[in-house]
Amino acid sequence: MTDLLLSEAEKMFIIHGVQDNLRVDGRSCDDYRHIELETDVVSSANGSARLKLSQTDVLVGVKADLTTPPTDNPDVGTLEFFVDCSANAAPTFEGRGGEDLARDISSTLARAYSSDRCSSSMLKALCVVPSEQCWVLYIDILILECGGSLYDAVSIAVKAALSSTKVPVVKVTSSDGGKPELELSDDPYDSLRINVKHAPCNVTLSKIGHSHVVDASLEEEVCSLASLMMAVTEEGTVTMLKKSACGSLHPESIYEMLETGKNVGLNLNKQLTRQLLDEECLHTQMGTNREPKGFL
Amino acid sequence: MAVDLRLSCRIKQKPTTIYKEPDHLVTPGDVITTDTGFMRGHGTYMEDDKLYASVAGTVERVNKLICVQPLKSRYSGEVGDVVVGRIAEVGQKRWKVDTNSRLDSALLLSSVNLPGGELRRKTAEDELMMRQYLSEGDLISAEVQAVFHDGALSLHTRSLKYGKLSQGTLVKVSPSLVKRRKTHFHNLPCGASVIVGNNGYIWISPTVNEEADSTGGFVQDLNPVATADREVVARLHNCILAMARHRMMLSDTSIIYTYEASLAIGSLVKDLLKPEMESEVVTMARERLETES
Amino acid sequence: MAGVEVVSEQGFRTDGRKPNELRRIRCKQGVFSHADGSAYIEQGNTKVLATVYGPHEIRGSRSKALHDRAYVNCQFSMATFSTGERKQRPRGDRKSTEMTMHMKQTFEATILTQLYPRSQIDIFVEVLQADGGNFAACVNAATLALIDAGIPLKDYVCACTVGFVDDVTIVDINHLEETNHIAEFTVAMLPKSEQFVMLEMSSRLHLDHLSKVMDMATKACKDVHLVLDRAVRDHVSEVWQQLGNT
Repeated sequence: MTDLLLSEAEKMFIIHGVQDNLRVDGRSCDDYRHIELETDVVSSANGSARLKLSQTDVLVGVKADLTTPPTDNPDVGTLEFFVDCSANAAPTFEGRGGEDLARDISSTLARAYSSDRCSSSMLKALCVVPSEQCWVLYIDILILECGGSLYDAVSIAVKAALSSTKVPVVKVTSSDGGKPELELSDDPYDSLRINVKHAPCNVTLSKIGHSHVVDASLEEEVCSLASLMMAVTEEGTVTMLKKSACGSLHPESIYEMLETGKNVGLNLNKQLTRQLLDEECLHTQMGTNREPKGFL
Repeated sequence: MAVDLRLSCRIKQKPTTIYKEPDHLVTPGDVITTDTGFMRGHGTYMEDDKLYASVAGTVERVNKLICVQPLKSRYSGEVGDVVVGRIAEVGQKRWKVDTNSRLDSALLLSSVNLPGGELRRKTAEDELMMRQYLSEGDLISAEVQAVFHDGALSLHTRSLKYGKLSQGTLVKVSPSLVKRRKTHFHNLPCGASVIVGNNGYIWISPTVNEEADSTGGFVQDLNPVATADREVVARLHNCILAMARHRMMLSDTSIIYTYEASLAIGSLVKDLLKPEMESEVVTMARERLETES
Repeated sequence: MAGVEVVSEQGFRTDGRKPNELRRIRCKQGVFSHADGSAYIEQGNTKVLATVYGPHEIRGSRSKALHDRAYVNCQFSMATFSTGERKQRPRGDRKSTEMTMHMKQTFEATILTQLYPRSQIDIFVEVLQADGGNFAACVNAATLALIDAGIPLKDYVCACTVGFVDDVTIVDINHLEETNHIAEFTVAMLPKSEQFVMLEMSSRLHLDHLSKVMDMATKACKDVHLVLDRAVRDHVSEVWQQLGNT
């Protein structure tokens, strides 16, 4: 991420503000900034979503492909995460500049989605022929703008993109002896949808001074010594926990942060599910007349 | 605890109005004139005795000088401009300052006032202690002293009103939103001070009761700011961002009007982050400016 | 052997266009606020984002600095989900490097770089959806982004792909037409002076047809220019009004 410089006085102002529960833009410590979401923006992908969280802009595309299932789990499909930090976001991401950050985000996502409840609800449906063929979902994340809270924005966009993904239905016709024949349905309305009920949303809590904040802006991230990332599902289960940055956290702070994170995560999931349902209805209403707003 | 998540399609779109084209609107490659009597200024180039535009904007003619001002560009300074900048590098006898221009500006050691207000020649010792005065990341307010031949600016802080900035917050907007005025330092009636830099960097801070400040700003007050003051600063921060997003010119009057509009509609400070609140506040301020001009 | 007829007997292409018809172009400037200039363009189903940073201090090695003009740095990248078949890597492959170089040469010829010695101008393009004419869309998007950033240009750079099949010249070819192994031209030109800044051809073409194709290409680029110019003028008018000028 871009190296932002702040003066000591600016940092003090931010830290005291957080203590006072009144941040630089008037938010309290557990408020998110304004989020805008749109799904189905890229027609070349099976599912997509674009999310704008104030100055952070991410675009997620999901493409489905057939492959052989892993040998240790022959009756489920797989998810593959790939993150690309576009140079659009910062000139330092040019070439291979953003690779470290990209790798970190994709491995965090992979861990968050690796819980067994998540796999059983989502991945079992992706199995076509056990031990022979299954669907692999390539989830590609493109980071277009970096304005803080990158991991959170990416996780929400991924959940939205997965919920809008339409995987073609496969009819298995068994041929006499040998491999079973697969027939992909041509009907665009006859598709398999992904169950994102147990997909988690990431909440990053940054420790600033003696308190912690949710959805830190770039300036607040500079002032934060340590942050805790947690992936929270709709029911409040935590599927991934990660501490980052170079400071250290006292166990008591960690408990407080986990508590805040869980509440915020529950609310976030609830809002997201509601909006996704609304969008689904809108899309079915508009049908083929719909033109994605996208970047226009 | 609030999570404001919305669908793009549900957000009310601006009605697509047909805007009137300004006179003398040119785009790159347009011929401005074939008359050879004119001098070419910024945004134009000459080829085959014809004057062409090189940027998209409006043609400005001052006597025999023709230039085209682009809508948005990096800050190009003029002598006498007030700027807010951030120290990027500490070099030999000079600091390199980031002022949102094409090249980093230079603040020479000979152009600053020493702490304590001493007026003396800078010694070799001062050179080694440069980092004590200003180090990387510090914010300063300064004035443009000169422009180097390659376009880089030379700044100075040789006045007590300039110098290192203390507690507050910085908002970055496009330089085209700031017009050149008599003064850029404003103590607003709501209890905050605003420095509107010509380079688009706006500094908002709580008003400090100034006794004869002879330290030139080098001694910083890092005590916590009162909550009421902090709220004023936060509201101004959101108002200025809203104005920038809706491309409203920034001046002390327009900032005060926008601030008062946000109080009039009774919104919480953080609600100003919502797009509909932003446009409402900006529209109210624009109307008020129009009726009072 | 191509299974699909590119141009039908009635003279219509697979998507219903006539041979000299461009796809619908929709564009917007100023998409991102933190970059100096940005633009988004849709040519049919091809969607491209371009951002411009600069002019600013040379980043990285100071040796790149040119004493008499600005250094133009480009990057061409395609999102992995942009193509029908998922791309393994967004950039770094030979095709992307080649496109990057072409873009750099195109814009070095157009930007008035001598006004900004010792500075750097970055142009980054990202293809979000690729449906043919990717490079042309990138050049058009980059032009809009440069104009948005207020960087002086000699003229617009308008690009278009033109194909030649069965004695018919078709303009603005989409992906389906591309896969039919037709002779394909990618041209970028400065519309006012009608000078070509970039020209690339693949497959084979008899020289007798060359002038016909070049004429169609010129006309197509001029049509693109009309659309882009209209968009820029509308954008300038809008911003002009918002800034409070009458």
